[in-house]
Amino acid sequence: MAAFLFRRLVAAAGMLLVVGTIIFSLLVIVPGDPAALLLATGGGSGTEEQIAAVRERMGLDQPVWQQYVDFLTSSLRFDFGTSLIDGSSIAENIGLRLPRTLELIVAGALFALAVAIPAGTYAGLHAGGRFDVVASAANALLTSVPGFVVGTLFIYLFAQILRVLPAGGYVPFAQDPVQHLRMLVLPALTVGLHLSTIIFRMTRASVLEMRGHDWVRTATAKGLRRRLVVRRHILRNALGPVITVVGLQLGILLGSTVLVEFVYNWPGLSGFLVSAVEQRDYPSVRAVILTVAAIFIAINLAIEILYSLLDPRIRQQ
Amino acid sequence: MTPQAQRPGWRRLAAAFPRRMIVPSVLLAALIIIPFAAPLITDANPIRISVRERLSPPSWAHPLGQDEFGRDRLARVLYGGQISLTVAFVATSIACIVGTLFGLIGAYFRGPFQFVTTRMADIVLCFPPILLALLVVTLFGPGAVTLVAVLSVLYFPSFARIAFSEALRVSSLDFVEASRALGTPSRRILLRTILPNIAGPVSVQYSLTAAAAITIESGLSFLGLGVVPPAPSWGQMIRGARQFMEQDPLGILIPCIALTLTIYAINFFCDRLRDTLDPKGGAGDGKDTVSRPIASAVAGHTPVADAPETVAEIRDLRLDLALPGAPVTLIEDVSLRLRANECTALVGESGSGKSLSSLALMGLLPGGIRQSSGQLRLRRKSGEMVDLATLTARELEQVRGHDVAMIFQEPMTSLNPVHKVGTQMVEAIQAHRPMSAEAARKLAITLLERVGINEAARRFDGYPHEMSGGMRQRVMIAMALSCEPRLLIADEPTTALDVTIQAEIIELLRDLRRDYADGLSLLFISHNLGIVADIADRVAVMYSGQVVEEGPTDLVLRAPLHPYTRALLESMPSSHEALHSARGDRLQAISGTPPLPNARPSGCAFRDRCPIAIEACATIRPHLEPRPGERAVRCIRAPEGQEVAA
Amino acid sequence: MTDMTPTRPLLEVRGLNKHYPAGKRGLFGRQMMQVLRDVSFDLYPGEVLGLVGESGSGKSTIGKAVLRLVDSQSQAMRFDGRELAGLPTEDLRRLRKDMQIIFQDPYASLDPRKTIRATLTEALDTHGLHRGAARQPRLVALMQMVGLNPAFLDRRPHEFSGGQRQRIGIARALAVEPRFIVADEAVSALDVSIQAQVLNLLADLRAKTGVSLLFISHDLSVVRFISDRVMVLYLGRVMEVGPADQVHFAPRHPYTAALVSAEPSLHKAPDRIRLTGEIPSPLNPPSGCVFRSRCPYALPACATAVPDLRPAGEGRMTACIRDDIL
Repeated sequence: MAAFLFRRLVAAAGMLLVVGTIIFSLLVIVPGDPAALLLATGGGSGTEEQIAAVRERMGLDQPVWQQYVDFLTSSLRFDFGTSLIDGSSIAENIGLRLPRTLELIVAGALFALAVAIPAGTYAGLHAGGRFDVVASAANALLTSVPGFVVGTLFIYLFAQILRVLPAGGYVPFAQDPVQHLRMLVLPALTVGLHLSTIIFRMTRASVLEMRGHDWVRTATAKGLRRRLVVRRHILRNALGPVITVVGLQLGILLGSTVLVEFVYNWPGLSGFLVSAVEQRDYPSVRAVILTVAAIFIAINLAIEILYSLLDPRIRQQ
Repeated sequence: MTPQAQRPGWRRLAAAFPRRMIVPSVLLAALIIIPFAAPLITDANPIRISVRERLSPPSWAHPLGQDEFGRDRLARVLYGGQISLTVAFVATSIACIVGTLFGLIGAYFRGPFQFVTTRMADIVLCFPPILLALLVVTLFGPGAVTLVAVLSVLYFPSFARIAFSEALRVSSLDFVEASRALGTPSRRILLRTILPNIAGPVSVQYSLTAAAAITIESGLSFLGLGVVPPAPSWGQMIRGARQFMEQDPLGILIPCIALTLTIYAINFFCDRLRDTLDPKGGAGDGKDTVSRPIASAVAGHTPVADAPETVAEIRDLRLDLALPGAPVTLIEDVSLRLRANECTALVGESGSGKSLSSLALMGLLPGGIRQSSGQLRLRRKSGEMVDLATLTARELEQVRGHDVAMIFQEPMTSLNPVHKVGTQMVEAIQAHRPMSAEAARKLAITLLERVGINEAARRFDGYPHEMSGGMRQRVMIAMALSCEPRLLIADEPTTALDVTIQAEIIELLRDLRRDYADGLSLLFISHNLGIVADIADRVAVMYSGQVVEEGPTDLVLRAPLHPYTRALLESMPSSHEALHSARGDRLQAISGTPPLPNARPSGCAFRDRCPIAIEACATIRPHLEPRPGERAVRCIRAPEGQEVAA
Repeated sequence: MTDMTPTRPLLEVRGLNKHYPAGKRGLFGRQMMQVLRDVSFDLYPGEVLGLVGESGSGKSTIGKAVLRLVDSQSQAMRFDGRELAGLPTEDLRRLRKDMQIIFQDPYASLDPRKTIRATLTEALDTHGLHRGAARQPRLVALMQMVGLNPAFLDRRPHEFSGGQRQRIGIARALAVEPRFIVADEAVSALDVSIQAQVLNLLADLRAKTGVSLLFISHDLSVVRFISDRVMVLYLGRVMEVGPADQVHFAPRHPYTAALVSAEPSLHKAPDRIRLTGEIPSPLNPPSGCVFRSRCPYALPACATAVPDLRPAGEGRMTACIRDDIL
């Protein structure tokens, strides 16, 4: 187990290095002067002085290897430099906003797990039945609605027509817990809805596959109670593939969260990111993406470890 | 290709077009074509601003109304669709072609190419697609070309990975090996054999990617970072209409519906495509679904006084496979009586119905299969004879494992890989016996020792994958015997094992029967007459869903009455030790193959392969007739057959 | 074929070894698993050589190795006098006309997307045989040769039963008129009545065309019936080789004896030789004689040296140091 953990950790660290390298090298492989590129707007471009200033701020005047080493070492220290626009510390900005984004994702994921795993299991166990037909059709439709569309429609429905929930915004939990939670409901539902369609589909397919295995028949032949057969010999085996796929889908989830935050004016990473992109603040954008990729890698590491606990065969490969 | 194959080409194609694909294909085609037919549908200009008419409701001139700048909404939806679809499909096509090429190269050359191909996808997956797109947009500024470039870079690794793993899977198949053995040039194998066989999964990925690309394109445009205004796009329309949604909900709904419908059409197409390519993905019947035995519908069929030595009885069993349309009869008129302390073998070739008959006796019939008549009766340990049909689901659970137990053909898959061997045994014990965990553990270890497993205590805490097939089958046997059933059903328990291991397992079963305190009856299902001769007291031979001959093993195998039994024995090389192919000897094979259940010949099911069939065999359906010596045979020619054999 | 005049062998194999990377990943790459150890044999023109063994014996690997479908190491591997190892790709491709294979799984061995005609045509096209007007009669002749109706040429594999597919696989192998065919468990997946049909077909084809067969199977009595000589393998090593009937009825190696006595038979064997324990993993086979860990006759000396394959009667060889047991 220790060897397994060590191998996984090394692999994750290696992945992080590769990701950092790719993000860094994007600036190097870009044709022409990246500083000029960043200042280009429509037809015009920045003045000589502006370009020189950006070059200096981003350290583009240094040799490439020096830039690379600086980038990696400072990233390791969570020092992402300062914004090109207002000179504020990028790390501070991220530190402030990241927890809010994570809150949204965790709330959404909890909702999705609570709804989709039981529903997917039931649909898988009774494939072709009435619930399965209805749920699968609804699922196919919901999968097709992009998160920002769901958000927009939710606002229209719950905030404008029914007027039961706020259309968006944010209040710190410490300041007003009830209002904070009220404002969390719609964004979290929106994030969770998309995730739950993925989990539902995976759980259903995985349960459907597992129930075809010989050991399920063995368990039934032993005279085990039906609910034990389902819990120990179908669901237990089905969850491994489900969490793996969910882990891989988290990238898409993190991406769609950006849009959802934007829709609801939730002050997570999204607002910071979008304004940074609009203002071509490359260091800020780069830092956000590196952070998100690191989170993604960390989550998948956790999932691999979880999976190895669920399935002893994984540990020995 | 022959001219014969060419002529009806398109007709064949049309006929071969799966019916389930028609609706999704038409829907998808319509949604793709309509935006590009925009000039035919409306002559309005999607970017002409008319501030005076902003947020106008639908009118004749503007069927979907006008937006916040007074632009014609119908034109904007249609032209916006053009841009979304073009970006998505161009990017997906580039990604598909480049990625598939990469994947094939990786699978073909292996080594570093393989590494690059597989790792690339892992890395790209770390970046949420929309964020990577944002990074690039920061550098190059927004625009359709940037989007196409980003999306193709984002998605080609997933194509590479799929093409790679599929190509690897396909190239390990025997038919590719056969092409290599033929000396077919590699390029031809790649293009003619491998590529067509991976086309399915790649096209599924294509649809998935196209849907994802549309989502990302519209998302970026929604953020104002995608398609540059004033060019229309769905994401932008939603962005624009958001502020006015209270006055003008139509402005939100129209692009939302257009977007969702398009993505849905692609997903729908993709789902159906996947089902068509992989038919087993549908609503299959798992091994957990069990169809309920039914009470015999035959009126006046009062149970005959049960001989006390009977442990189980199948009477006039008929099983149907429920299919849309007419059900197919898999098993017909099967009767079998299992006696205490006896081993009865059920033999036959694949599809003869021997396994189904035994599963029926466990109440373990697969969901799609219905018992349409007959009785399944078991003697419980209490001595009471029960009809499975009269038991509730809970009672059936109490019978399984307790009064009758079963072991299966595939020891490698019959144990759950994620639970320890001991846990699975204790579970079986505790299902029927109120016993502490510690006592159950002790019992399990004793049983493991009894079936010949060394270091039983260590194996108890091990996982199935740490054991060989022979050992797992021993575990299965130990588990089956843990509640001391009266009847053990063994469904081809040694078929998956090596010869020397098989001999050990057979010996173990024989020993166990001898040692078993209260007597253990065995129903042994096999296709191998040699094993049957070794272990069984009585044998029933099945052919095409019927028992064709039954009797004491020695008699049946030494002097078979039914021509099929005789043919089986004749075809076995092991029963002809004097024959050798080099001397020009041939085995006495019967021609033809067993009929499919839905295409059995009239009269006797064996007649078209039978060497002694006469005309009457086509009209008379023979019954299983008793013969002297506790035997029975289903053949109108059997008496004569016996003379022939003698 | 029983009168084996010492002609030149069609296939000569000397010291064949095969390793696979397998097992746990160590610090210095993966452990190597040796599936074939120093295998040598000859196959004469028109001869059927049977290879028997249990799982892990390496019997299928031998078949793939001599066809160069997998890489292997050997001192010599000559087909018709030509060394196969290191043969340039194009020469090897041309040589494949003479060496063919029939597979075990009748479902995986045919491309589901190709008609029978396309499958057979691929074989003929590859070696430029029977072009133009000669093509159709050849296809018809092939179908008849394996006992299939030529009208089935334009059907796809899913329309055939397992036995019929196996006939198609045989037709594909025969299409290029090979001199040597590897039959890799070619009848193992078939029901016994179908198996007899295919065995008869192979025997007839051998008699008619004089093709040599390397017949790989785990079923001893099938191998005994079809083969002239039999080679018994255990954990990648040759245990015994000799004329089929002799090896079967009077085995010289304890493993062969155990194998024969373990075989289920209608005539009950009075004294079965009991083997103890499981087949060891090829990852760490026993030292010395690989069979010693399960051999009822093993001596301490069996653990020290690998026994040579030594002559044991006319045309027979055995790899056991004991003379006194069988």
